[in-house]
This record gives sequence, C-alpha cells and structure tokens, in this order.
Amino acid sequence: MATEPDPQTDTTADGSESGAGEVEARVGLRYTLKQVKRDTTALMGIYTVGFVTLIAVLAAIDYYIFDYAVAEMFWYSPVQDPDEVQRLLPPVGMENQFGAGVIEHPMGTDHRGRDIFVRLFYGTRIAITVGFMATGIGLVGGTLIGAVSGYYGGWIDDVLQRITETIYAIPFLVLVIAFMTAFGRDLTFAMIGVGITSIPVFNRLIRSRVVSIREEDYIEAARAAGVKDRNIILRHIIPNSFAPVLVQATLQIGVSILIVAGLSFLGFGAQPPTPSWGQMLSASRNYMLPAPTFSLWPGMAILVTVIGFNILGDGLQDALDPRINN
Amino acid sequence: MSEPLLSVENLKTQFFTEDGTVRAVDGISFDVYEGEIVGLVGESGAGKSVATSSLLRLVDSPGEIVGGEITFKGETIFGLEEGADGEPRPRDEMLSEEEMREQIRGREIAIIFQDPMESLNPVFTVGGQLREFIEINRDLSADEAKEEAIEMLREVGIPAPESRYDEYPHQFSGGMRQRVLIAMALACQPDLIIADEPTTALDVTVEGQILEMVTDLQEKYDTSFIWVTHDMSVVAEICDRVNVMYLGEIIEHSEVDDLFYDTKHPYTQALLDSMPRPDETVHELDPIKGVMPEAINPPSGCRFHSRCPDAREVCREVHPEARNLAADGEPKHSAACVKYDAFEVGYDESRPIETEATGGFSAGLTETEAEE
Amino acid sequence: MGLLRYTLWRLAQSIPVLIGIITITFFLANQIPGDPVEIMLGPTPAQEQVEAIQARYGLDRPAHERFLTYLSGVASGDLGHSIYYDRPVLEMILLRLPVTLYLTVSAFLFAIVTAIPLGVISAKRRNKPADHVSRIVSLIGVSTPSFWIGLMLIIIFAFYLGWFPARGLPLPWADPADIRGAETQLQVIRTSLHHLAMPMVALGTLQMAQITRIERSSMVESLQGEYVKLARAYGVSESKIVRKHAFQVAQLPVITIIGLGLSTALGGAVLTETVFEIQGMGRLIITAINNQDYELIMGTTFMFGVAFVVGVIVTDVAYAYIDPRVAYGDE
Repeated sequence: MATEPDPQTDTTADGSESGAGEVEARVGLRYTLKQVKRDTTALMGIYTVGFVTLIAVLAAIDYYIFDYAVAEMFWYSPVQDPDEVQRLLPPVGMENQFGAGVIEHPMGTDHRGRDIFVRLFYGTRIAITVGFMATGIGLVGGTLIGAVSGYYGGWIDDVLQRITETIYAIPFLVLVIAFMTAFGRDLTFAMIGVGITSIPVFNRLIRSRVVSIREEDYIEAARAAGVKDRNIILRHIIPNSFAPVLVQATLQIGVSILIVAGLSFLGFGAQPPTPSWGQMLSASRNYMLPAPTFSLWPGMAILVTVIGFNILGDGLQDALDPRINN
Repeated sequence: MSEPLLSVENLKTQFFTEDGTVRAVDGISFDVYEGEIVGLVGESGAGKSVATSSLLRLVDSPGEIVGGEITFKGETIFGLEEGADGEPRPRDEMLSEEEMREQIRGREIAIIFQDPMESLNPVFTVGGQLREFIEINRDLSADEAKEEAIEMLREVGIPAPESRYDEYPHQFSGGMRQRVLIAMALACQPDLIIADEPTTALDVTVEGQILEMVTDLQEKYDTSFIWVTHDMSVVAEICDRVNVMYLGEIIEHSEVDDLFYDTKHPYTQALLDSMPRPDETVHELDPIKGVMPEAINPPSGCRFHSRCPDAREVCREVHPEARNLAADGEPKHSAACVKYDAFEVGYDESRPIETEATGGFSAGLTETEAEE
Repeated sequence: MGLLRYTLWRLAQSIPVLIGIITITFFLANQIPGDPVEIMLGPTPAQEQVEAIQARYGLDRPAHERFLTYLSGVASGDLGHSIYYDRPVLEMILLRLPVTLYLTVSAFLFAIVTAIPLGVISAKRRNKPADHVSRIVSLIGVSTPSFWIGLMLIIIFAFYLGWFPARGLPLPWADPADIRGAETQLQVIRTSLHHLAMPMVALGTLQMAQITRIERSSMVESLQGEYVKLARAYGVSESKIVRKHAFQVAQLPVITIIGLGLSTALGGAVLTETVFEIQGMGRLIITAINNQDYELIMGTTFMFGVAFVVGVIVTDVAYAYIDPRVAYGDE
C-alpha cells in the first residue's frame, strides 16, 4: 500500500475499506466467536475439539521433547514392547482366554502387550496433526487456485478448473493410494495426498464466491483506481469468504482424519511402532475373535474426534448463516 | 343491502417470536359483497398478506389467529367462544381443517400470490399444475380438467395454449406466469379471489394489461375480489371499495371515489401525496416521512402519530377505533383519526407535537419546540 | 429429445477428463520407485532377458513416447499387461469390476432407501423427537470410519451371533457349480445376498447419513417454497404436498450429493473389500501396488476414474430428468 502515493487511490481504498469494514464486523473472527458462544451445538463442538487437541499437544510434547519419557514415567511406553508380556488382555472388569483385565491397563493390551489406552492417547497426535495439516494444504491450495481462477476468468480459469476437475474425477482414496505409491508410504505423503485431494473442495467454494464478488461495486472501484490485482484478491475477496471457508475447513478436518485412518488401515501412513488409530485397527483385525474390544477403542476415538469437528462445523454454519438457523 | 359474501370481524393474528409477540393483524373488520373488488392498501409490513392468509387459515407457524370472526357464505371460517375453563376455544360450527381444505380453499376462495416466478412449481408442467387444481376443486375427470385448463389459458390470453400446456414454468415470462396463476384462480370457479399484490413484481406495461384483463374477466364471471396492493393507482383503476391498513389496523375505509376526493385519514392523505395522480398536477411528490414502526412494539395512542403531520398531544394518548364519519344516507366512510369531532377527545385543545413529518428528526424530543 | 442430447453432450464433455485421468495415472506410475525388470526377473537377471523385457514393455523408450503408446492403447481398449497375474489388465478388471459395482450400487440403494424416509420425516417433524433422533443418527454416520463399522459388524453379527458370513462376496449370477453349498441359481442369489448384507451396510452408512442430512435441509426449504403455499391454498392435502409438490423439487440437491458421494463410496470400497476380504477392484489395486505391477496400477486407477465419471453422468442425467431447466436450457 505504501507504494501507492496517488491520493485518488487512497481515497478509494479507504472508501472501499470502510465499506468492507462494516461487512468485516459481521464476518470477522470476533463476530464468529460471539455467535458461537450463543450456539450450544457449536460450544459442544469447541469443547470436544479443544479436549482432543489438548491431548494431541501433550502427546506431541512428550514425543518430540522427551521421546516418550513422560509416558514411561507415569504409565507405559506407547511404542516399546513391555518386558513382561501380557498380550491381548481385556479391559478392566472383563475376562478372556488370555486372562482378566487389570486396572493398570484400563482398556486392555494389544497383540504385543502394549497398553491400548496409552497408544490411543498418543495416537491423538497423529490424527490431529493430519487433520489440520491436510486441511491446511487443501485450504491454501484451493483458495489460491479458486481466487486466481475466479478473478481472472478466461483461459487461466479454464486450465485450472480442468486440472482440479481431473483430480476430483478419481475417487480420492484411490488417488491418494496411487500418489503414496509413487512418492512414499509414510505419514507426510498421506497428509500431502489428502491435502491435494481436498483442493477441489475449497477451489469450488472460493471460485464461486470470487466470481460473484468480482462484479461488486467496491471491487470495480478498487480496480478502476489501480489497486493491484494481488491486493484486491488478498485484501478484499478472500476476507469476504471467511465464514463459509471456516465452516468447510472444520468439516474437512474431520473428513481428513477419516481418510488418513483408512489409509493407515491399509498400511499407508504412520508406520509401526508409531501409534496411530488406523494402524491399531489394522492390527486388531487379526484378533477380532479372541479380543474384540481391541477393535472397539480406536474406532471410538476416531468417532468422538470426528463428531467433534462435525458438530463444530455445523454449529459454525448455524451461527454464521442465519438463513438456515431460523 | 344483501348479506355480505365474506365478513371479517375484529380479526387478530399474532406471531409468537423469540423477541416478543408481533401483532401483525390487530383487530381488522371488513366485508366483501358479491361481485365487487375490495382493495386492501398499505405499505409493506402493514399486515396485508398476513390478513389474507388468515382468511384461508393458512398462517404459518409461529403465527396464529388469536381472535375475531371470519364468516363466509354463512360458514364460520374462524370463530372462538369461551370454553368451560374460561379459555377461548374454537366454536363447534367452525370449519375443521379438513373442511377448510375440501370446501373452502381453491373451491370457494382462491388466491393469487405476489411472486409469479416462485409460485409455480419448477419441476411440473404448467398445464399439469393447472389441471391438478381444477381436478381437486371442480370434481372433474383428468381429461375434462385438461380441457378446462386449456380453455382457461386461452381466456387469460396465453397464445397457443394447447402446446404451452406441456411447457414448464421457466419457459414462461413473468407476465405469462402471472396470467397462469390468474387462470388457476378463475378456473376453480370460486366466489372470491384474493389477489395478493399480483402485479407488484411485473413491469408497468404488463401490469396494465393484466389489470385490464382482470377487470374484463371479473365482469364476465362476476367473481368478488380482495385486491391487496401498496399502489394507490391500482386501487383507483380497479377497486370499488377500499380499506387502508397501517400497522395491523384498518385506519380508513370508504368507496373508492370518496377515498380520493374526500380523504379523511392523514395517513391516506400521505399515501396519496406520495404518488403521481393523473387527475391533479403537483410540482413535487411528497413521500411519507419516516419509516413504519415495528408491529412488535407499536407506538402508543394512534399508531400513526409518530409520522403524522397533524399529530397532537392527544394522539399519543388516545387510541382511536375507526368510526363512520359519513352523513346519514351516504355510503359508509370510516376513519380512525381523533381530529374529527365525532371522536370527542379534545383534539382541538391539545398541543401539536413534533413528529417525523413536522420537521424534527427526533420524534422523542417533542416538547422543546412546543414550549417555546 | 432434450434429454438424449443432454446425455450425449455430457458424455462428450467427459473425454478430456478421462484423458486427464490417464495423464495423472501415467505420471504417478512413472514416479514409482524400483525397477520393474528387477521385480519380474529377480535381482541378477541375464542381460538378454532384461533387454527382452524392456523391449516387450517399451521400457527402453522415453516417457512421452510410452505415454502416447499407452493413450492409444487405452483408446483401443488395451490397458496393458499385468506382470503379477501374467494376464491382460483389462481381463483382470473385467473379472473384478462387477464385484465392486455390485457392492457399491447395493450400498447406494441401501443408503437411498433408508435415508429418504428418514430425511423427509425429519423435515416434516422439525425440532421434534423424531428429528433429533434422525439428526443424531446421521451425525454419527458421517463421523464413523466405514471400515470400523465393518469390523464391528463382523464381531457382532458374524462371530458372536453367527447370522452373516464374515468374508467373501459371490455374485448373484455366478455359476452354482462355483459356489459351495449351492445347487440352483436361486440358492446362489440367496448366498450372495447373505454375503452382501454386512459390507453393504458398512459401505452405505456414510452415504445414508449424508443423504439424510441433505434430504432434511432440502425438504425443509422446499416445504417453505411459494409453490407449497400455493398448493395449500388450493386445497391440496398435506400428505400429497409432501409426497409430490415439495418432494420432487427437494430431490435435486440429493441427486447432486449422491453423485459426489460416489467418489467416497468407490474409495470406501477399497476399505470394505479389505475388511470383508472381497475380491473386487479395491483388492486388485492394493495387490497391484504391493507387487509394483505398473500397468495394473494404472489400469485400476483409470477404471476407478471411469466408474466415477460414468456415475456422475448418470446422476446428472437423472437431475436433468427431474429438473426440466437443465435439459432444455435456462432461457
């Protein structure tokens, strides 16, 4: 902005900004929070998501800084096979052919005798990281492509839209599997792959909004006054799409967690012994008959986490879109 | 005079919202006689549409008819009595929901809605929709109903009705769709048609054509109309008698000529001043000052006093019921304004107050100027 | 007439998308690390053998040449040769595709048949107990991993109750001689449906939940439409309004969501087939990947794309059939 000394530009920019400023008051972060506080569903979503994220952060601190030392100090290591192997114990209060559940392993032990509860706890880190990272990649990529595509139109639009359409035309789990086969089977590529497949979702959302906003008077005015395209897109168009993007991103985090769990289940993603829910489910498959509860816990963890993001997304939608909320 | 076709007595319809009770229709009374067109005029938000949907008992939740009586050809569409517990309950002779559906809606009272673009179902053919309503309301077989539908489309001026019968609403223009809706109403051969701002969404030339057509057809079929509009020029063109609504109340009622040439209520006067008239030359149109207050919390006294150029102290205190101001033997002309002697509340002695119409922006700070 | 032209137009439109799918698949397959020759011949092959294999699969030529060869091959129906199975890729796909389609289509039928009444009831009794139940069910449905539902179903209904078989999915039109315990075609069909029940529910639950949500909101909106007000004002009964006037309009967004859900469902089929050990396209692509069978990977990925594209066209045509504005053009 400092490079535009033309007074005319300044007045227009100011004028349009104060216009956009009023809109901001109804789409901004503060407004969102205020609305969410009034919506019980959204609040429940916030609490669930906050709780799961907190666990993920704690697990991450222990993993990155202490290399599971904290876990071992208070409980059991989520990755090391225990010295005294008690495989496939049932949860406390139950009994199976391997013995009775004990209080030290409230959810029982897995096929290598590791405590399921600890692994579940530390699996949260993977789920949350993956959810946020993959959605972030899709959000940034989709927003850029959608904004550029919708703003410029013409052949740029055509080319970009054909590419995203093609990405969208392959069932995304298959696409991610093919992508990971080509580049690598570990978690990083799972996140990138899932992120890429969610680009079309955000692209579509942003592009349709940009196309409609592009014709608005204040954008026309800014353009006529010589404000750079990049600034128009970044300062006017993208902030205006805040509410629907926030809703979509929240829901997409849940979807990403589900997909990555599915990938881990197939052996693509976090590799053993790193605890991840999908991979725990994959391991549990071989012990469904003797230890059915082994399969129960990781699925419940996924369910609770994804429900959290879904009700938060729904709540945000209700809070930010009064049309549906009547 | 003969019995009225439709008689509405002290009708009240309220909406129970989170923010409070909205008294959308607050005690209106009017009659409709056979073969006449009665106007219901007012700004948007005056409660006209709620009033008309009340007549068919089609008020959507959270709205509810809470009082008054609607009688149509001797049948009670709505009527309450005091129950054993002191609470009002529907009278026995009031038509049941099923009777309303089978005997009244479409068959006896038909309605034409405001928005021709949205009123037709986009996924069915125009003819199919017309035929369905004719079948239901005239007990005709499918084939007869189709014949009747095509005949009716021709009647309302749709060219090549046989082929257009099978087309979809999106293939019709706005004016053509409104003609279809009018055909729908007439085809059911009701005694009364409620036209809820049917020409508002159309451009002026189309509006003219449609008004002309309706006047012709009204004469031909001798159907009564309630014509809801905010446009005084439409009233002048087609209505026999007029009711002017403001904030849920009918504040003036008269024959159409009297309304224009012997205007009683300041609100009606303001409405007339705000529109161009072919019979008078004015230099400048004079829009009504201020905006209509919310029906959720109407002003005390006369509801119009906050925007009234003639408002006085007493207007804020006394809520006037409409009274007949016409001389004996003259047709009824009632108005709800205390400036007429008939009200005897001491208007002349009362001090004028400052309102949105008298120049001050703040209706609240009224005393200062008066004291000086 | 309008509908047929629209269908052809949509088919023509899909050709560039299909070429795009082949390009992406080819590009990804080329990135796969490891030497296919080594996989076929072991770590120390003879030089002549290497050259023979390279010539046979065209591995000695540059990538763009191979791409064009592959593209023209696909156009003439040749998807290459599977190294692992030593059979043409197309043959393998034609063997497995019906199983996946049988599973996916059944899952959608299950989803539609349960979701539409649920959504309509929910919309009609908005904010009443029935609505709350249906909303909670659909919320759980969209939040549950399909493969976990599969595992739970197996544990409960196969292992504990023994009502349904835990693995495999014979096709209903299979030869009775190939199915154990079946002598007549009718028995084959029964066995097939018996096997179908659990994977169908596992795969269909997510779709059911999504369709319910859309059906509800779409019906709520449709019931507030002006055309519903008009129908009421003309004495149409409430049940007919729900069944006909409001319902048909409300199905438009539902059809769109079914089309988009196809992508999730086809991907989900990979998981469901893994859980229930069903020999379909999903298992085929996993086998291909685990054995670095390039042409089979490309072929199966491409076929998944084709299945999705065709599915979307089918839903688009269904949309146009219900909404006359699409096929006749919105003038």
